[in-house]
Amino acid sequence: MKSRTAHDLRTTRWAWKLVVLALFAALAVAGAPVSAQSPRDRFVLALSGGPDTLDPHGTAATLGFMVMKSLYDTLVEPDDEGKMVPALAESWSVSPDGITWTFKLRPGVRFHHGKILDAGDVKATLERILDPATRSPRRLQIGPIRSVEVVDPLTVRIVLEGRFSPVLAALAEGWGAILPADLIARKHDFGTKPVGTGPFTLGEWQRDSFVRLQRFDGYWIKGHPRLREVFIRFVPERAVKVAGVLSGEFDAVDTIDPDDLPRVRANPEVRVITQLTSLVNVVAVNNSRGPLRDVRVRRALWHAIDRKQVLKTAYGAESVPSSVFMDVTSPYWVDLGDPYPFDPERARRLLSEAGHGAGLTLDLVLPQPYQMHIEAGQLVQAMLAKVGITARPRVVEWAFWLSRVFGGGEYDLTVIGHTGKLDPEGRLTGWGDSTRNYIRYENQKVVDLIHAGRITSNPEHRKRIYAEALKIMTEDAMMVILGTTIRYVATGRTVREFRQVYAVDSYDFRKTTK
Amino acid sequence: MPFVVRRLLAVAPTVLVVATVAFFALQVVPGDIAEIMLGVDARREDLAQLRHELGLDRPLGLRYLEWLGHMARGDFGMSISYREPVMRLILARLPVTTSVAGGAMLLAIVVALPLGVIAARRPWSVVDLAVLAGSQAGLAVPAFWMGILLILGLAAALPIFPLQGYVAFGSNPIEWGRHLFLPALALGTERAAALVRLSRAATLDELHRDYVRTARSKGLVETYVVRRHVLRNALIPVLTVAGLQLGYLMGGAIVIEQVFGLPGLGRLLLHGIYSRDLLVVQGVVITIAIMFALLNLLVDLLYAVVDPRITYD
Repeated sequence: MKSRTAHDLRTTRWAWKLVVLALFAALAVAGAPVSAQSPRDRFVLALSGGPDTLDPHGTAATLGFMVMKSLYDTLVEPDDEGKMVPALAESWSVSPDGITWTFKLRPGVRFHHGKILDAGDVKATLERILDPATRSPRRLQIGPIRSVEVVDPLTVRIVLEGRFSPVLAALAEGWGAILPADLIARKHDFGTKPVGTGPFTLGEWQRDSFVRLQRFDGYWIKGHPRLREVFIRFVPERAVKVAGVLSGEFDAVDTIDPDDLPRVRANPEVRVITQLTSLVNVVAVNNSRGPLRDVRVRRALWHAIDRKQVLKTAYGAESVPSSVFMDVTSPYWVDLGDPYPFDPERARRLLSEAGHGAGLTLDLVLPQPYQMHIEAGQLVQAMLAKVGITARPRVVEWAFWLSRVFGGGEYDLTVIGHTGKLDPEGRLTGWGDSTRNYIRYENQKVVDLIHAGRITSNPEHRKRIYAEALKIMTEDAMMVILGTTIRYVATGRTVREFRQVYAVDSYDFRKTTK
Repeated sequence: MPFVVRRLLAVAPTVLVVATVAFFALQVVPGDIAEIMLGVDARREDLAQLRHELGLDRPLGLRYLEWLGHMARGDFGMSISYREPVMRLILARLPVTTSVAGGAMLLAIVVALPLGVIAARRPWSVVDLAVLAGSQAGLAVPAFWMGILLILGLAAALPIFPLQGYVAFGSNPIEWGRHLFLPALALGTERAAALVRLSRAATLDELHRDYVRTARSKGLVETYVVRRHVLRNALIPVLTVAGLQLGYLMGGAIVIEQVFGLPGLGRLLLHGIYSRDLLVVQGVVITIAIMFALLNLLVDLLYAVVDPRITYD
């Protein structure tokens, strides 16, 4: 055995210290150039989660479309008011019978791989969505398309099975993204190598971590996009989002929790933008369950719940109350005032009229990933207790909620937000037919009105038809409607035109600058 | 049959049992991927259609057998939600999780071993008490909370460490280290706290043995006695526990990956469970089971390195 002296040991110890010091120095030097602020033409957004695929026809996930909006374009797109404006299609017309839709394409639009957009691409795209082999979860929502015909290189004709007014809106949703026919024919993997006509191309995508989008110089809107690079980091942790926007590492974060608002607002370098969502938040009521079959009991729930307070406490002070099942930002929203004002006394009276004067026990299911719904549920529970209704809360996982509550109808009450659709059809289809909606609400008149709305093309007539349907639904007190909620978004002070297309719940970076 | 081969063969039935349990457990849990994909907008006809297209309406037994057949050929199948082969998804994430778990273990050992030895050499001294108190505190702080504290206290304040993300070792080793240091520290702290107690106890135990007295009476420097004689023997129990803890760290990595936004196996597993993407869940569970089995084997082999008296036929 080789023996060692104390001197040897001392030298090795020094050597170690040097190594550790050198390591830290290296880390510090490597870290130095990464200053918190990124260059002016690079925009960093922190998003709660990432896409699972970048194939627009392979998913229905909102987070996916938030990224894909920058990679692909649709024939038409919604403006800030939700009105359809030209995008890849310059103009369109519909035959008097509402069956044939003709789209005139914008000339000279380029795909990322250089191909020029023509009618064949639109035909190939729509046929791809309709092909069961694509397994598009949105196949049936694109509408009853019988055929797609190429009239000339810049004219495409869509022939429907029957009248279907929401077709324009369906084509404007994220899943209506137009792909190039040559790559479709070659069974290109759009899921990881997206090719579209969008303002950005995919630079790099590290699943569940980030996606880097690079400016597409051949974009059809001249001078756009303004940014050279959009870097979207997927940040599930709320504290990290706040820390990142405060330190300037993120130029924008998708949602700020109301509890964090004071800290974020206190920083002069950060701006908080309040955006109305397209959600309708509700306390859903299972119309087929025992006492809840009685409209008096359902109306008693409205009177018992201080809807305004629930909405503002759980979802943010700027949220807008509503009494109809339509987001307040939609042109189809109608103001019915407050048909069942907060009045616990009246609630108690209605309950005893219905034979439940002695009290009532209901099951209240709350979806686990949504903290604000759980908070709202707790408020509802306390308010119901004051009129003699015992609500037993049960917090369940999201998949469980979708399966047992939404699919199976195994609940009395639940709190949830319904996402918006470009066309009222998307929101209202199935209501009134108890086999097709999760609250088991039955009313043939509502079914007929919604059908009439689907096949009516005159927008003013449609508005009247839907207004009537919404009014009946509220008269039936089919569920307790709270209203449309607010979302807090934080950006750097100099960020401009960070546009959120609320109607499709997507970000539009084409005009964004910082 | 050589020991290593025997042990490797024993891995197969373990993996099969784990995989089968994972397969059936997820069938019992409510909800399927079609419901998740369509969400709150689901219409009955869309759901039925999608279930049919995804093959979810086929008999369970058939799906199980089919899957076993693929497994036997080393094919983990195709993820429905990611639209990519599960194997590719796992291979992309494996380095992230092993880096975090390995880094955490390394930090834990580097911190715990010397501290344990120092504490043991002067039991109940101020140093020893400080180490014990520190370990108590370390055990009490959950890893995710530690992670958030590190992000808020270090990453947000200093430009040395990034808030989030991962850079592959192959593309930039320094960036790799920079991105991994805080997650590994957050995850490793709790492990270090546990290991420090173990290494202290093991060292104390060895310090009172006869061979130590002999070594000292030979006139060897105390540091050398501790390093050459005591540490080697004290390492055996520490190594055993550390090996088992690596499995635990893989679990802890799930939480840490979420906090630091690391694209590892943990987040893949979580996504798989939430979206009911069965093949992803099974693939990840099997991968973790295999890694766990291999780590145990590695620990067994390391015994022989640390203690020459241990041999395997």
